[in-house]
Amino acid sequence: MRLTVNGIESEISSPPLTPLLHVLRDELDVTSPKAGCQQGGCGTCTVLVDGEPRRSCLTPVAAVDGASITTLEGVGEPERLSPVQAAFYEKYAAQCGFCTPGMIMAATALIDRKGGPVERDEVLEALGGHYCRCTGYVKIVDAVMAASRGEVGDVQDLPVSEAGEPSVEVHGSPA
Amino acid sequence: MKAVGARLPRYDGVGHVTGRTRFVDDVRVGKTLWVKALRSPHHHAAITRLDVSKAAAMPGVHAIVTHEDIPRNVYGHLEALGVPGDEPLLAAEDVRYLGQPIAAVAAESEAAAQAAVEAIEVSYEEKPALFDIRKALDPDAPQIHHWGNVYPHYGSYNHRRVRKGNIDWAFEKADVIVEGVYRPQAIEQLPLETQVCTVVPEPDGRLTVYSCTQAMYFSMGVVAAHLQWPLNRLKFVGGTVGGGFGGKVDTATDTICCLLALKARRPVKWRWTREEEMLCSSTRAPWHIELADAVTSDGWILGRRTLTIHDAGAYARFSPYGLTKHAFHHSGAYTIPNLRFDGFVAFTNRVPTTAMRGFGVTSVSFAVETHLNRVAEAIGMDPWELRLKNANRVGDTTGNGVTLKDPSTVPVTLAAAERVGIELPAEYRAMTSDPRGGDLLPEHLAAQQNLSELNGGGH
Repeated sequence: MRLTVNGIESEISSPPLTPLLHVLRDELDVTSPKAGCQQGGCGTCTVLVDGEPRRSCLTPVAAVDGASITTLEGVGEPERLSPVQAAFYEKYAAQCGFCTPGMIMAATALIDRKGGPVERDEVLEALGGHYCRCTGYVKIVDAVMAASRGEVGDVQDLPVSEAGEPSVEVHGSPA
Repeated sequence: MKAVGARLPRYDGVGHVTGRTRFVDDVRVGKTLWVKALRSPHHHAAITRLDVSKAAAMPGVHAIVTHEDIPRNVYGHLEALGVPGDEPLLAAEDVRYLGQPIAAVAAESEAAAQAAVEAIEVSYEEKPALFDIRKALDPDAPQIHHWGNVYPHYGSYNHRRVRKGNIDWAFEKADVIVEGVYRPQAIEQLPLETQVCTVVPEPDGRLTVYSCTQAMYFSMGVVAAHLQWPLNRLKFVGGTVGGGFGGKVDTATDTICCLLALKARRPVKWRWTREEEMLCSSTRAPWHIELADAVTSDGWILGRRTLTIHDAGAYARFSPYGLTKHAFHHSGAYTIPNLRFDGFVAFTNRVPTTAMRGFGVTSVSFAVETHLNRVAEAIGMDPWELRLKNANRVGDTTGNGVTLKDPSTVPVTLAAAERVGIELPAEYRAMTSDPRGGDLLPEHLAAQQNLSELNGGGH
């Protein structure tokens, strides 16, 4: 079996019924898809299979032999965020970060499919199978809508500084 | 103060949105063994036989630990605060909740570890189980804990007490007595990241612990106590928690992984399944709260009697501390001059309960605020006015004897009323936190304040 993951083609040696999630995480060391429930319930293992969002925990690798897989690592770089990534970052839509990989993949697929601004009810439907225990969802939905409208980029305005004074720097976690 | 009000970027935000954040499950160490646990299938039983020899001989199995492998099996999460230990890391004689760990296996794969768990020979003699905290205090209830069904170590008492003023006077003087029973139930914290840990034995004899704990140094102390090791032989790596909400304060996986890593001399990893997280991890406590308020027909709360029972589940963990916080908050944000509070931590055959957002406080706040609405209804008074009249003010004293210097009940209540469009009479809109006077300083509160001044204004 072969998979193309984030543009890199690999021969797969895991048994054919191995969930795609474990092939990605354990054979290929692509760790952004998370093992949140491994029952198809939480959505954080979501990856794009030929552009369509799929639960990698419930997908046997043999069923996607030859497919092109995109995970969060393949969406953008830390220095070059995609619009959805930038919106999640700027609008505080990622809190603990554990559900974020699946949220961004599903949102990216929605915006790609729509090709333009998405409405709130469309976001709710696209993210309906994704659990977040931190944010209460409002910031996530707002971020997806903003990304679809190109309303991102205010991160350059951060941090707020007054003329002649050094900007506020945030080093590491106090927690 | 430049940071206050500024839209600061999250220090971990870029890592989160690019999939680069390394959670414990993402740590990669070569030659790592998988861990699985034998858990009690019964709510309450005696272990009559435990034999791991067949399981230990299975292919791919590198180590099995039971209670016999633990230098100090029974340790309490709050021993440093004077709460004695009662919970074994791995059950030795009795199991007291469904899912309680009895043995743990480290093997080459998750499947090999699970197969070995299923090959452990274990027999049980089932005992009666107890789930209702109200029944836990009955004389004929099954005894499910070696301390009895109630945590007995509040100084010389078996429960947390608050006594303030003269409660009998308040109930004699009352025009109306309003009673209510409130039973907020257990809630699973449900982080998206299940309990997970990786432990690596280092060449210098130390252990590196990749932990999802919410409380690094706390977990370090718990592991060191069970191992009977000095802290400087443990290196904890943490700070990246895939959700906790209180459920990752208890040290669920770290110690057992350390024991297995030492015995197997290999790195080990334990990642709970979602099913384990739901069935076996700690929850927020259920509570049974009985309130009785002595009130006057013009809306003064003269006194409150409280009986509260906190469900610890099978072991104490943090529950004695949670109940103490509950006691501090049982009069809410209001001044009640005469109080009698009796709070019990009861044991049941549920999973041990623990912290969750507002540990011990949310339960009593729910009860108090719901009860105040009942009081307002009973005397025919507007519930906002009832709250503002009895709201804490500068100089009022709390149930545990603190004189308030900067209470916020009045401005917060007024702001809330405005936000939801409640029209209050002018005399209420004009209220502040200033010390009581005039109509807002009736005789029974004046007496309390004088007493407070005699005591030196609180402590």
